[in-house]
Amino acid sequence: MTQTWLISGPPGCGKTNWILNALKSHAGPCGYLRLEGGSRPGLEQGRDSSIDWNWLKDQIPQLTDLRSNEDSGDYEQHESTFKIVELSQFQTLRGTEPDGVNTIVKAQLEELNLKPQRIRHFGEDPELPKGDTLDYNTLESLSIKLNQKVWDPNSLSSFWFELVNGAYGDVYRAKALMNLPDGRAFYCNWIVTQKGSQFLPLNAVEQPNGRPKRQSALVLQGKALNGLDVQSTIHDCLLNDDVLEMHQAQRRSQQPNPYQPAL
Amino acid sequence: MAHAVISCLHANLAAVEAVLDDIDQQGIETITCLGDLVGYGPQPNEVVELVRQRNIPTCQGCWDEDIIDGLNACECSYPSQLAERRGHRAHHWAAERITKDNKDFLAGLPMTLRRGPFLFVHGSPNSQHEYLLPGMSAFAALERVESAEADTLFCGHTHQPYVRELRDGSIRMKLEKPGTDQSVEQEITLPIRRIVNAGSVGEPRHGNTHATYVIHDEIKEKVIIREVQYDVAKTCQAIIEQGLPEVFAWRLSHGFEYAERADDADHVCERS
Repeated sequence: MTQTWLISGPPGCGKTNWILNALKSHAGPCGYLRLEGGSRPGLEQGRDSSIDWNWLKDQIPQLTDLRSNEDSGDYEQHESTFKIVELSQFQTLRGTEPDGVNTIVKAQLEELNLKPQRIRHFGEDPELPKGDTLDYNTLESLSIKLNQKVWDPNSLSSFWFELVNGAYGDVYRAKALMNLPDGRAFYCNWIVTQKGSQFLPLNAVEQPNGRPKRQSALVLQGKALNGLDVQSTIHDCLLNDDVLEMHQAQRRSQQPNPYQPAL
Repeated sequence: MAHAVISCLHANLAAVEAVLDDIDQQGIETITCLGDLVGYGPQPNEVVELVRQRNIPTCQGCWDEDIIDGLNACECSYPSQLAERRGHRAHHWAAERITKDNKDFLAGLPMTLRRGPFLFVHGSPNSQHEYLLPGMSAFAALERVESAEADTLFCGHTHQPYVRELRDGSIRMKLEKPGTDQSVEQEITLPIRRIVNAGSVGEPRHGNTHATYVIHDEIKEKVIIREVQYDVAKTCQAIIEQGLPEVFAWRLSHGFEYAERADDADHVCERS
């Protein structure tokens, strides 16, 4: 039987990590969808820019995007399909509507033919960890697309240090997928309640030929964010074509030649 | 006799004035400066003029050299592309403002100063740009001090003050006799050597906002790392008003243990 869960909570409460673990522990087919939660006066939702989807898909290659109709026939027929819908939501869903789902979210779910059997909200549901659930009063959001961009690794390290220590405003939450010149990408994750940042490498490594093809983005949430300074610092950190080619040429020369016979 | 060693003033007038006041209050008359009078900060001319006015013997730092010779960095000068671009902006800002008189003064500074068994340098005896990091291998550290023929090497450049004693050093040599298979082994035990890093007056990166310098008592063989409070907000305001990268003010006001330097403690500077 197909199980569909709706997991909601405020930014940075740990939804994506929790969902990753829940999906990984499921043996059968699984699907995922992230719904953009509604902004409220003074509380701006972050645009995810597919960071969560790309991270989860990298970790669980068989994961299906619930927005696409591909393979839907297969897993609808499968007895143990597990679908999780993630919703970034500032306030608890319960109490607003009898079934805990407001009309805007309900319309999106109906359009995708999704009927959650379980609805869980971080900060309310005792089964979910509570530690990082914050009650925001005001929140600005900044989303920067970084597709095809590659970072100088030491510059990324300095930028992230400055970012999470307040050089560009009071950042409460930072999440990103960042490309490095060696073909790796990192899922970077930080929330003000945690001491350190998560820097998790993606399993997929790009070939050393040109700009990376995977999605890349940075999403910030906080107060008094200085978007112009963030953009100009990022510009100083990104590699130009010549420098990237220098890194990639080095990598290509280190790869074994498939035409050379083994001795 | 006690003498004070200051380094890495970085055009931060409020910090330099506070440190010189602290030195004066302790009745110390001999001061040596290890360079980097300019760079990062908003008052390059004022700081150079104060050092000149006080007749403080000074050796040339890497930023001082860059202002005279232009940018010609080895990879160790900047640890990242971001640091390099910011550094270049700060360099051009200072280069446009430094007076000819002050530039001539910086050009005339020696690479090293020597007083008896003490050698004073900005980075290392090899180069103003080379970092003598506290974690560098004991062999490399000993080589820098020994080859400079000094008992104590005073340096700066890392912006993190430290005192490192190098004990039990020895050099083992194998001398082969020409035309024979015979060789002679010889081991020379070295006396204790010391590296003293003065930290930074104008851009401290040791974990708080205080300016640092060192006092060395030659008779008691004692080194004290001094921390001095100064009006950080005043310098930060001036950085912003002068249009320098605002992140310099942010860094200064937080006093992070923030190392903008080469990762490799044993890197040998290749700057020509």
